[in-house]
Amino acid sequence: MTSSSAPSRKALSKIATNRLQKELVEWQMNPPTGFKHKVTDNLQRWVIEVIGAPGTLYANDTYQLQVDFPEHYPMESPQVIFLHPAPLHPHIYSNGHICLDILYDSWSPAMTVSSICISILSMLSSSTEKQRPPDNDRYVKNCKNGRSPKETRWWFHDDKV
Amino acid sequence: MVTGVASAMAERLKEDGNNCFKKERFGAAIDAYTEAIALSPNVPTYWTNRALCHMKRKDWTKVEEDCRKAIQLVHNSVKAHYMLGLALLEKKEYTSGVKELQRALDLGRGANPTGYMVEEIWEELSKAKYMEWELLSARRSWELSSLKEACQAALNEQRALDMSRTEESSHEDYIAHTDRLKSLERVFEKAAEEDKPTEVPDYLCCNITLEIFRDPVISPSGVTYERAAILEHLMKVGKFDPITREKIDPSKLVPNLAIKEAVAAYLEKHVWAYKMGC
Repeated sequence: MTSSSAPSRKALSKIATNRLQKELVEWQMNPPTGFKHKVTDNLQRWVIEVIGAPGTLYANDTYQLQVDFPEHYPMESPQVIFLHPAPLHPHIYSNGHICLDILYDSWSPAMTVSSICISILSMLSSSTEKQRPPDNDRYVKNCKNGRSPKETRWWFHDDKV
Repeated sequence: MVTGVASAMAERLKEDGNNCFKKERFGAAIDAYTEAIALSPNVPTYWTNRALCHMKRKDWTKVEEDCRKAIQLVHNSVKAHYMLGLALLEKKEYTSGVKELQRALDLGRGANPTGYMVEEIWEELSKAKYMEWELLSARRSWELSSLKEACQAALNEQRALDMSRTEESSHEDYIAHTDRLKSLERVFEKAAEEDKPTEVPDYLCCNITLEIFRDPVISPSGVTYERAAILEHLMKVGKFDPITREKIDPSKLVPNLAIKEAVAAYLEKHVWAYKMGC
């Protein structure tokens, strides 16, 4: 339901292509622990498997992240969502959208897919209960037609989890 | 008085040439510049403009002639050195072509470090360096493999000779022979390593582009970035250091000359590192 909606996007710029090729090579040689990326010839969309860290609520659960890169990556952040079913987590909505500041306002071009993955895993690992955000239903209803989470005005009120 | 009239006419002819060039009428443009040159032969722009027309028509000998003339008149013309470099590369004169492009790049950076010319020249320079390396390394690898074959043949021949001389060939002799062949293999493997592309060390790569530095600048927090990348970040994303998130004023970026030298030294030894993403 959330996965099929491809954001209308332009082809990657030359700078973005170069940078993603470098990231891909680096990933293949040195993937972050707990993540698997099946390399395809689509450089602009990566689908990454996440395995919950041992000793956490999500141990042995597997989820899928979908990362879409904009034309001017890394000057713009990629769009990162969980594919259905998204993990139950106070900052992850049932449509796969993730409330994490580095994906939006706090993005920096020095971050990489690999560093994003590590942030997301640490967000999962520090959770103390498997549940949806309190405003899940309202938010998801407002996100019809496959709106990108990058268009949401996020409030990052809780940095504990 | 006469010269004044002549140079005014030459200027007008140059304008005609420029207009023809814009319409991609390169033959007509060349005629106009040629007339301008006849009237005032000491204006470098007439020569470089004509060279550009010759370049569009891939008439590389004429590009070279006009660029050389322009450089005689003014030694620091970015365009003249750039086009001369390309013309020499077309003639497969890699070493002198690369030298001209390098000169153009240095002059171009001095004039406008983020201009499009600099990017274009760097790309051509990298391509040329890489092509030169491919050629040389292919030759080196061929030389090595034929030398290796000769050495192996000599060892085997020696072994055959030894065996024919002695009645019984001992097991030790056999071991010694195979050991010699193995160490020969190792010596040649080692010799080939220099031309084998590996990873460029992280400290020579920008954290934004992930590529080897071209024009490194250091931020007030002490982090080094590629100039064009950090400037784009400051303009589009925000006025903060991408790694430390400290505030940055663009005027506070200074060239990191030590890293620049380190990159030059690294590229000198590992020419394959000029190869770019695509």
